[in-house]
Amino acid sequence: MLGAEVTFDVALPKIVWGWLVSTNMWAKSIATGSFMLALIATKTYQDNRAFFKISGVLLALVFIAITLLVTVLDLHHMFRFWHIFFYPHFTSAVTLGAWVVSAFVVLLLIAFWALISQNEKLWNRIFVPGLVLGFFSTIYTAGIMGEATAREVWVFPAEMIAMLLSAAIAGSAAFLAIDGLMGGMLKENIRKHLSYILMVSSGLYGAMFIGEILFAKMHSEFAHHVIRQLITGEVAIYFWIGFALTFIVPVVLAGVSIQTKKYTYSLFGALSALVGLWFVKHAWLLAPQTLPLS
Amino acid sequence: MRLGFLVDLSRCMGCMACAVSCKAENNVPLHSWRLRVKYIDEGEFPDVKRHFVPLRCNHCDNAPCERICPVSALHYLPNGIVNVDHDRCIGCASCMMACPYNAIYLDPITNSADKCTYCAHRIEVGMLPACVVACPTHANIFGDLDDPESEISKYLKEHRDVMVRKPELNTKPKHFYVRGSTVALDPLASERPEGFTLFTEVKFLDHIGGE
Repeated sequence: MLGAEVTFDVALPKIVWGWLVSTNMWAKSIATGSFMLALIATKTYQDNRAFFKISGVLLALVFIAITLLVTVLDLHHMFRFWHIFFYPHFTSAVTLGAWVVSAFVVLLLIAFWALISQNEKLWNRIFVPGLVLGFFSTIYTAGIMGEATAREVWVFPAEMIAMLLSAAIAGSAAFLAIDGLMGGMLKENIRKHLSYILMVSSGLYGAMFIGEILFAKMHSEFAHHVIRQLITGEVAIYFWIGFALTFIVPVVLAGVSIQTKKYTYSLFGALSALVGLWFVKHAWLLAPQTLPLS
Repeated sequence: MRLGFLVDLSRCMGCMACAVSCKAENNVPLHSWRLRVKYIDEGEFPDVKRHFVPLRCNHCDNAPCERICPVSALHYLPNGIVNVDHDRCIGCASCMMACPYNAIYLDPITNSADKCTYCAHRIEVGMLPACVVACPTHANIFGDLDDPESEISKYLKEHRDVMVRKPELNTKPKHFYVRGSTVALDPLASERPEGFTLFTEVKFLDHIGGE
């Protein structure tokens, strides 16, 4: 009880960015994570080079298309999307993100051309720009969240690391899932490395959330309320489902599979992480929006 | 010139004339507002106090909405007003996510972001904002913050209890309150139970994003 109560007010907007934005972040993690991992894997694992090239480019193209689709669908003036290229405002991370993702899409199309034309020289040339554009496509959403001054818990450096870890989780999980579902196309050492990436990135991302739960509430009244919403409030159901599926299950199953060399565990850990990632992103997106700002 | 607003909360009697005149002047649709007056009741009977708090865009010098708008639909005018270009807006709602004062809404008819512009169209032709004209107690004081002889500058100079909302966010608002309090200006200092209360239903809108 605060001893004061609002007795007359207008209806306030609550959830402004909903599931379309969560889906945007989720799909983008898979697109950029799988493509960046594929680029590195084609340099590292010569034996399974074709697997990473084909699945990496196709995963990236499909999921970046989903990202762009939900982005445009979320606009209340979707047919004015072109304004972002003709009236750009470069202090906005939204603008920077749109430009970077557009360049990333162009690069993916070049990668696709290199794949179908079997042009190794062209594939090698996209390595550095692919990693650079993949990196910035991954983190620009952290910039948007950082610029959202109204939502104090979204802090750029932490969000940037969280986005990169999401991409690592999504990329490694996507490859483990494809490998597992197609009956095991990868060599054992590659599966082991992918399981390590999944386990470590899930563990670190989970640790960041535990850190937020323990410490963010000490920063400000707003952060305290957001954390309360996250762990016991109206978005808690999304958060705890996401926490279990993205952090606990993959860490345990990837660890077991590394130990026992039975990579079916990693397959289930990967599928769990891919589903859970959406929930945890959704919860983190909604929690600060449940509080009144004025 | 830097136009600013000051509300003397000791003068406001919660009559809503400002909110009504704003709605009429700017054709603000139902369920949307550019200026609203919030009632907050504090204490327990018989020791109770009612706060009336007019809330509108703060026209920040360091406006998060202007910074995050991807197409410059939100932009500064030379007189310091943060204005909106409805035809340029793409409806991404980033400004709503950035504004810590909840001052921006998506117009359900035009689908563009909109907010208080300090009645920029009236100021352009030498008139005062509609809410200033309508206020029966002259609680709204409007003028040029750069002019030391303006009423608002003198008011700011003469009063020591000047407050702005959320100063810690470094938005540098140009909207001030005199004789305010934490209960009046901090949204987390009061409960906001949903449901029917004094005259109407206090609630949240659910038509914008969807969970």
